Amino acid sequence: MNCPQSETPASLYRFLAQSFRYPEQAWLTEPYFDLLGNIKQNLALNSDATGLHWNYNAESDGLELLQIEYTRLFINAAPAVIAPPYSSIYLDHEGNLYGQSAVWVKQFYQLHGFDVEGEGDIPDHLVLELEFLALLIEEQQGDKAEQFLNEHFRRWFPLFRERVLSGSTNQFYSTLLTLVDFFTREEP
Amino acid sequence: MAFQMTRRSFLQASASAALTTALSTWLASGAQARSGFVRKPFTAPGSFGDTTTVTGGVCEMCFWRCQLVGKLRDGKLVKLEGNPKSIDNGASICARGNAGVKLLYDPDRLKYPLKNVGKRGAPVWKRISWDEALDECASRLQGVIKNNGPQGIAIFPHGASATYPMHYFEKVVGTPNNSEASFFQCRGPRDMAYINTFGVQAGENVDMPNAKAILLVGTHIGENIHVSHVKQYLKGLENGAKLIVVDPRFSSSAAKADVWVQIKPGTDTAFLLAVMNYLVKKKTYDSAYVQKNGEGFDKFAKAIAHAELDWAAKICDVPAAQIKEVADLLATNAPHVSIHPGRHVTWYGTDFQRERALACLTGLLGAIGTKGGFVVPKGPKLGKVAWPDIGAEHAEEFALHKMAEKHQFSPPGTPTQMLRDTAISGKPYAIKACITWGQNPIQTIPGQQETIKMLQQMDFVMVVDVMPTDITMYADILLPELSYLERYDIVKTGVQWDLNDKHQQYIAPRMPLVSSVSADHQRKDSVWITNELAKRLGHTKQIPAPSAEAMVDKILAGAQLSVAQIRKEDGIHLQSGTDPYGMVYPVRFFNEDLADAGYSGAPSYTPVAEPPQGFARLVYGRVPVHTFNRTMNNVWLNAEIPENPIWLNQTTAEKLGLKNGDRINLVNQDGVVSVKAGVLKVTLGIRKDTIFTAHGYGTKNPAMTNGVNKGFDDQALITNPAVDPETGAHGMRTSFVRIMKDGKVLSIPA
Repeated sequence: MNCPQSETPASLYRFLAQSFRYPEQAWLTEPYFDLLGNIKQNLALNSDATGLHWNYNAESDGLELLQIEYTRLFINAAPAVIAPPYSSIYLDHEGNLYGQSAVWVKQFYQLHGFDVEGEGDIPDHLVLELEFLALLIEEQQGDKAEQFLNEHFRRWFPLFRERVLSGSTNQFYSTLLTLVDFFTREEP
Repeated sequence: MAFQMTRRSFLQASASAALTTALSTWLASGAQARSGFVRKPFTAPGSFGDTTTVTGGVCEMCFWRCQLVGKLRDGKLVKLEGNPKSIDNGASICARGNAGVKLLYDPDRLKYPLKNVGKRGAPVWKRISWDEALDECASRLQGVIKNNGPQGIAIFPHGASATYPMHYFEKVVGTPNNSEASFFQCRGPRDMAYINTFGVQAGENVDMPNAKAILLVGTHIGENIHVSHVKQYLKGLENGAKLIVVDPRFSSSAAKADVWVQIKPGTDTAFLLAVMNYLVKKKTYDSAYVQKNGEGFDKFAKAIAHAELDWAAKICDVPAAQIKEVADLLATNAPHVSIHPGRHVTWYGTDFQRERALACLTGLLGAIGTKGGFVVPKGPKLGKVAWPDIGAEHAEEFALHKMAEKHQFSPPGTPTQMLRDTAISGKPYAIKACITWGQNPIQTIPGQQETIKMLQQMDFVMVVDVMPTDITMYADILLPELSYLERYDIVKTGVQWDLNDKHQQYIAPRMPLVSSVSADHQRKDSVWITNELAKRLGHTKQIPAPSAEAMVDKILAGAQLSVAQIRKEDGIHLQSGTDPYGMVYPVRFFNEDLADAGYSGAPSYTPVAEPPQGFARLVYGRVPVHTFNRTMNNVWLNAEIPENPIWLNQTTAEKLGLKNGDRINLVNQDGVVSVKAGVLKVTLGIRKDTIFTAHGYGTKNPAMTNGVNKGFDDQALITNPAVDPETGAHGMRTSFVRIMKDGKVLSIPA
């Protein structure tokens, strides 16, 4: 059976999920950047993937700039937030939160024995979906992970990625988006 | 960038084993957050098993506060409905009420405390923690208090959740500089006029269901929807009440009227004086009521004796016979007549006198405490949660209008114009911090450039809101508030909507319909935010309620109720009420206090500025699906009426070669051009000297992704507001406009 997701380590999805949480000194540490560098090295990125600033220094202004960029891209911004990281924004015609696709996601979680922690949590946040993939892999349900990717994630993630890339030149997030794409896209 | 390898080849590469180990080590170090998931065995909901009804909602898409229930499926709010137990709105809610679902899940909502690391007006936001945000707010406010005194803080509140912080800053911190839009740009002159005539607030307390005649002056029920109010109005019409509508425009109410007085804008008080003078001269007023309860009647009668029908007819540009017809109709049906006090009454800066005239007319007709008349229902008693008055004396001492001995009949707070002028000039003292809480002063207050000037000179601007309205662009620190669907705050009370029905009272606290427990945001309610600020400003001991829920519980305890009990009672407590009819209020036809302060003791008419040649007066109202700026971003409501139409008289349009649907701009007397072309509505239903549009459109903050640049903001055109001398409230129908089409300015023919 062809289910490449079963071979992607859960820890990788967990790492990517963490990468899309709000940037804070607590986790943007030396070991984090070492790991990111390690992944990049293993991927043998070709030459046009230059300019990745792995030597990013969390103690300089860099952290604040990253926080500002995260706020602008994913939370609130003037003139406008670039890309809210929820599937409903991209898949449902009204572009609101908690649309039909979010309901589908929540039901998918529940069918596989999980639920979001908070009663008011919006289920289709990018971070939650990546965490959920990690949970499925850990549970040896790689085929379900593939189903989740196929029926849901791959329908919205490219649209989201496109919105971020067209609205930002930030290397950190463009790299991470490339990594998420690499570990979630369909392969023969 | 592209990768040369496939995922499979990557995962099969020998190096990936080392990577996996490195990842495991990193994870084991605990650097990452919790997953956000819990394990939960799947249970099939079964048919009908998945929708639950949550009670205890109180709407805030406008400020009428209809009682709601929420339909939830697995934590998601799918529908809002009227609470069937309600004796107010009942099972009905309006379009805005229904669309509350879309506010809850609006992706543009504020989610986290934000710090502006850019400029005021051109913000660059950085998410910060609550501790950092509150520490900064407290230290900056403390700095202003230290340098400028508590009066150096201005607050612009609006809505139920803003009451708690407003009282904190007024009563404890001690600033008088509180400007509520609901007073100074809305109801202030009405409330103060009725208090100074009957001794009670007007509200919209007319018994329309049981009236034989209803008089609406400028009020256009149906275009503004307050559910139980519309029910009262329609019930009255259904029962055969004669409807008189005084309006320069064929409004939705004018369309239902028996008599439509197409009055020249700005002259309503002359009309009312003539009606009253006619009743007095003809002796068709309620002399028994006046004799028993009237005060200063003779002086009043003398003061209005000049207001002959012909005099008013000329001023108001309506036939004298029609004024007589209205007066006769009212007298014939008295005392069962509803003289509607209006709601948004800040029109010309002469509004206190017009409202006094409405109150005196009510008294003259003896329409007080009678079926169909002015009747104030008796609501239930509640407990209180109040900040102690430790700063009130200081606030009183520094109240600008008291220092200047102006606007002696001001509603609570400080007249906006004085506050803003003081902030800009620094005289008589400096105002250096600004707090806005649920209000968008950019669109509520006329004279936008001055408002921006005021904001720019502040040392600190703090904004608390649900949505990124225009004012949020000027914040240094922006704090996200929970919406009305997720928080506790006000306890709404009242009686059954038809006073003639079985006498009942209701108590309906606002309780959350939807859980705010979520990793998705860090919104907080106003009680929490205020308490955290109070703690940091040294007022821990003064905090009257530890949480919003505790506050509501304490208020309910005054009625021997509790949150838990209300939950058991499906969100609304009902109890028997008392017969509201038969009460008597004194009527101060001539008010000596007003005369002593140098104002007219009897209602008086002051002409307002006429449109210059080639201009028409700009008047505004609203559309039924929007509550001004608050609802503009709502995806459903926006889809219903995305733009504000511009009403223009048909003859004028023909002369100018304009037709229905044309795109035009408006240019005011100061050369200000509307930011965006609006859609022309050509109609016989408006006077030639008047142009109408709906208020609240054209938000400038692009963070309101649906509302931005939809329609145009008429407030931007109101650059010459008047100020009501008695109350200090603004007059906002004071601007004059011409039309601009394809870059060419067209004068309005006479």
